Amino acid sequence: MGTAEATVGARRQPVVIEESFATKLLRGLSKAPIHLLLVLLALLWLVPTFGLFITSIAKPDAIGTGAWWKVLSHPSAFTWANYSHMFHTHSITSALIRTAIITAGATALPLLIAAAAGYAFAWLEFPGRDWYFLIVIGLLVVPVQMALIPIYRLYNGAHLYDTLYGLILFHTAFALPFAIFLLRNFFIGIPRDLMEAARIDGASEARIFFRLILPLGVPALASLAIFQVLFVWNDLLVGLTLAQSNQPLNPLIAQQLRQFGSNLDVIAPAAFISLVVPLTIFALFQRYFVQGLLAGSVK
Amino acid sequence: MRYTLALIAVLALLAAGCGGGGSKKSSSGGGGGNSNVKGSVTMIAVWTGAEQAAFQAVLNGFKSKYPSVKVTYQAQKDPASFLSTAVEGGKPPDLAALPAPGIIKGFVGRGLKPLDFAKSTISANYAPGWLNAGTFDGKLYGLFFKGANKSTVWYNVKAFKDAGVTPPKTWDDLLKDAKTLKASGVDAYSIGGSDGWTLTDLFENIYLRQAGPDMYDKLTQHQIKWTDASVKQALTTMAQVIGDANNIPGGTSQALQTDFPTSVTQVFTSPPKAGMVFEGDFVAGVITSSTKAKAKTDFDVFDFPQIGSSSSDAVLGGGDGVVMFKDNPATEALIKYLASSDAQEIWAKRGGYTAPNKNVDPSVYPDAITRAAAQGIAKSGFRFDMSDQMPAAFGSDAEFSDLQNFLKNPKDVNGAAAQLEADAAKAFK
Amino acid sequence: MTSTPISAEPLPGAAAPHSAQQEKRRRTLSALAFVGPAVFFLLVWTVYPTIYTITRSFFGKSGFSSFVGIDNYKTLFSDHVIRTAIKNNFIWVVIVPFAVTFLGLIFAVLTERIRWATAFKVVVFAPLAISLFATGVMWRVMYQKDPSQGAINAAVKAVSDEFSKPGTLTGAQGSSPKLVPAHGGIQLNQTVQPGGTALLGLTAIPAPDVPAGAKQAVHPQPKSGAITGVVWRDFKPGGGTPGKVESQELGLPGVTVVLRDANDKKVQSAKTGADGSFAFDGVGSGSYHVAISKSTFAKGFAGINWLGGSLITLSMIIAYLWASAGFAMVVIGAGLASIPRDTLEAARTDGATEFQVFRRVTVPLLAPVLTVVLVTQVIGILKLFDIVYSIAPGSTINNATLLAYEMYRRSFLQNDFGLGSAVATFILVLVIPILVLRIRDFRREV
Repeated sequence: MGTAEATVGARRQPVVIEESFATKLLRGLSKAPIHLLLVLLALLWLVPTFGLFITSIAKPDAIGTGAWWKVLSHPSAFTWANYSHMFHTHSITSALIRTAIITAGATALPLLIAAAAGYAFAWLEFPGRDWYFLIVIGLLVVPVQMALIPIYRLYNGAHLYDTLYGLILFHTAFALPFAIFLLRNFFIGIPRDLMEAARIDGASEARIFFRLILPLGVPALASLAIFQVLFVWNDLLVGLTLAQSNQPLNPLIAQQLRQFGSNLDVIAPAAFISLVVPLTIFALFQRYFVQGLLAGSVK
Repeated sequence: MRYTLALIAVLALLAAGCGGGGSKKSSSGGGGGNSNVKGSVTMIAVWTGAEQAAFQAVLNGFKSKYPSVKVTYQAQKDPASFLSTAVEGGKPPDLAALPAPGIIKGFVGRGLKPLDFAKSTISANYAPGWLNAGTFDGKLYGLFFKGANKSTVWYNVKAFKDAGVTPPKTWDDLLKDAKTLKASGVDAYSIGGSDGWTLTDLFENIYLRQAGPDMYDKLTQHQIKWTDASVKQALTTMAQVIGDANNIPGGTSQALQTDFPTSVTQVFTSPPKAGMVFEGDFVAGVITSSTKAKAKTDFDVFDFPQIGSSSSDAVLGGGDGVVMFKDNPATEALIKYLASSDAQEIWAKRGGYTAPNKNVDPSVYPDAITRAAAQGIAKSGFRFDMSDQMPAAFGSDAEFSDLQNFLKNPKDVNGAAAQLEADAAKAFK
Repeated sequence: MTSTPISAEPLPGAAAPHSAQQEKRRRTLSALAFVGPAVFFLLVWTVYPTIYTITRSFFGKSGFSSFVGIDNYKTLFSDHVIRTAIKNNFIWVVIVPFAVTFLGLIFAVLTERIRWATAFKVVVFAPLAISLFATGVMWRVMYQKDPSQGAINAAVKAVSDEFSKPGTLTGAQGSSPKLVPAHGGIQLNQTVQPGGTALLGLTAIPAPDVPAGAKQAVHPQPKSGAITGVVWRDFKPGGGTPGKVESQELGLPGVTVVLRDANDKKVQSAKTGADGSFAFDGVGSGSYHVAISKSTFAKGFAGINWLGGSLITLSMIIAYLWASAGFAMVVIGAGLASIPRDTLEAARTDGATEFQVFRRVTVPLLAPVLTVVLVTQVIGILKLFDIVYSIAPGSTINNATLLAYEMYRRSFLQNDFGLGSAVATFILVLVIPILVLRIRDFRREV
């Protein structure tokens, strides 16, 4: 986004040589409808999240008798009790912790494995390299749904069903194709001279990988990490299928949905908590997120 | 085949029942202290919180009788799917309580042990419907430990008083009262159509009364088709309620989005959105936990009205059935104990529990409402929830959406019956 | 990680010179050490399962002992619910990627020259970080049918109430068969002559809706040259006798009553008093109809059934657009930024209007970016599961369903892993064209 603005600024210079105040004002006014439209759209975009938040702090009986925007004018209808009740409920807090563990594990592990593989695909020679890479690209589109049934069976036998390991390993595997693809493309852009120099110095591949490739790859790794954190944290299907009593947050909330109308005082705060974490991460690391998005799509 | 066996069981029970009718407490099973039974038993069920505490009290009673047996109970929020994977992985718990016979049936042949050692105890203490619901291919696999009476209708006392109506005894009275309620300005029926099972329960209550228990058993086994005249008649009767869209809060489109707890709470808020709601004795728990209504002054209950010449014995219910994966003296002792009135009275005293054992002393129930519910499911006309007994693909999936479609379009009785039959045929294949 | 001293490791590369052959093998081995873990994961978690699932789809419910050929695929195309899923997936794939791209393009262009664009972009982009599951929960709150619960219907109601005010006795009905609907109101089906009376009893009025100050209704007294009558709540506990003014039955004040002549032409109108009485004075001879006006019963807006069977797909699509438009906006925005300005300026100098520049220059230059957005959306939609699960209530799930949801339901809720595998395989088949596209791209690149 930064670059977009810079370009816009740079272009404007030569065209707009000198403008009287009146012209500026006129131009500003002619854009007023656009500003207004954008403000309206932005507000519209905020409504669902805001509504969920207000619902999450409304007293249960206030939810029953009126909607959140009516509750807005009655501060007495607000309460943090929904949240404190939720955090005192063992199931939600432990699900939060589990989700955090799964997310951390299923982010670190695939990044390391994919970085190694990406390095090999970019700089090491082995027979059939390009064919293997082609297969990796092919696996990019394999839907998670393909794996659920056999992995469910496999996990039952291997005692990985309903364990954090099981979920971490599953997410790891499904993160790999994209991560390898992206990192290979990133690593291949490392100047050849740099690599040659390191090899002439007699550094081992491991050394090159840890001392040169990983540090250089930080921007790409960071983008991937953000994506993976969001992806794993936000997962519903895998958690629902491969866990039972050790479910992460989303599948746990999902169990309440069948009684949506009457459980809203439980569902709303839990759903809000579930989205606060990814939103915070998004806000903190937005730059990497956008970079990754662009690297992944505008190849 | 199974029907014949069920009949034999009924006859056997009638014979047994006549003899032992007088004695109130026959302290069945569980008997005196038995310290030579040793071992440990693991068990899972859905009960958590207050229910878990109550069940633990029941287990403590077992402990005092069998001091050398250690029972470990674990709560599972979805015992059926937990068990499904546990069996697949080869490590099921010794005992498990499952919510429906249809689910129990799914485990027959996958490691379930028959409970025939407890058959005589159960037939002496339970209405025959309970025994049948736990029997598959001639063998008893499920002992129902916790029951629910589903032939109840809960109503807003003040709304009934304002409208000047009294709890109806017959279907015609019900329809008349509903009209009067409407005239008074309160919609009569609260329908939780978003949860398909509330609709199957309504249908089953009507069918059991109108077509009678024999036909009910046949339909349960899919020995008659859903296109049978009796089904169509029951659907037509059902349409008198669910087709009265004007008398349902928000009409049928709202009813389809109303879940069961909301269908209860909206009857007991002030002002009420509806006058009454059809569902089982567990409605009381929803009322007391989610509304401020008080028993008798704000909410009360009446038996599901009689239809035509139906027997007042006809009662529909459900319950949690205990199944066994490991057969040893310790598990057998626990099963027999759980079937006994001694064990069930412990929980009954604490409330929130309806004992399926008919010899449980009614005076132990903390209130009149649960007492009445319990007396209902002890009756010989008791039948277990039909949809619970059918294959899950029909009884807890397709039948739901078919009846929801019927709620959408209650005039199309033939279409609904045809669709139900098509789906049932697929599931029973 | 980088601070770990690596020098302790043996450095085989620096050791005694190897033959070229040995060197090559050493390199291959070390490369394999690098790709090994990835290969292991991919083999166990994606390659093996893919083969398993495809194979499994030819077997029945009870496992590999029951070969059923293509029966599961026949079911796939004959089961009415799965067919709905296929139809819905088709609707989604045809509409949604284009809608997302279109929205993204509009937003990207609108924000291109706005100073506070970053703030706008963050707001629109942020939902991408939220799970589709939570998105579904939020929108389900928004979509509640009751206008006092769902924000969207509340907004519609606020507007619609401006145009047609709801009446005072919206749910009321005539108490006897003599009262029939007419002209949108309720009319006595017998005509009344001057000196006659009209009894207009209403029921189905909730007690709180009876206007304050209502008094006991009184049976109207006939008056020559006039038509008198009463509008009252014809109900007392137990129901009372319909059509008869009884004690405990209140008059309904403030109700507009209309008098029509034999040609159905409106002659007079009157408002009822505290006891519900009304009178039309100076009525000429003839037969008249007496009716309660339409406005009394005008129903307020009852709410659009967003989560009902016919709208559920649209409702889900709107929620999905809310979540995904930001993605398209950012990607397309970056594409816009990379368009050479000279090209645009050249077109403008040639006298092209802004719209022409946009259509003839910008969009074609953006084509590769737009394609990427479209393709990404198509893949996403074929795997879409969460939003069905979280938005659709149980009663409309069969109208809302998508293939990915059917795969889950058939396998894990109905334990028919054969059919579930067939659905999964079908999804795979649908994404294969995209796979071919990707591989072609890669080969061109190499």
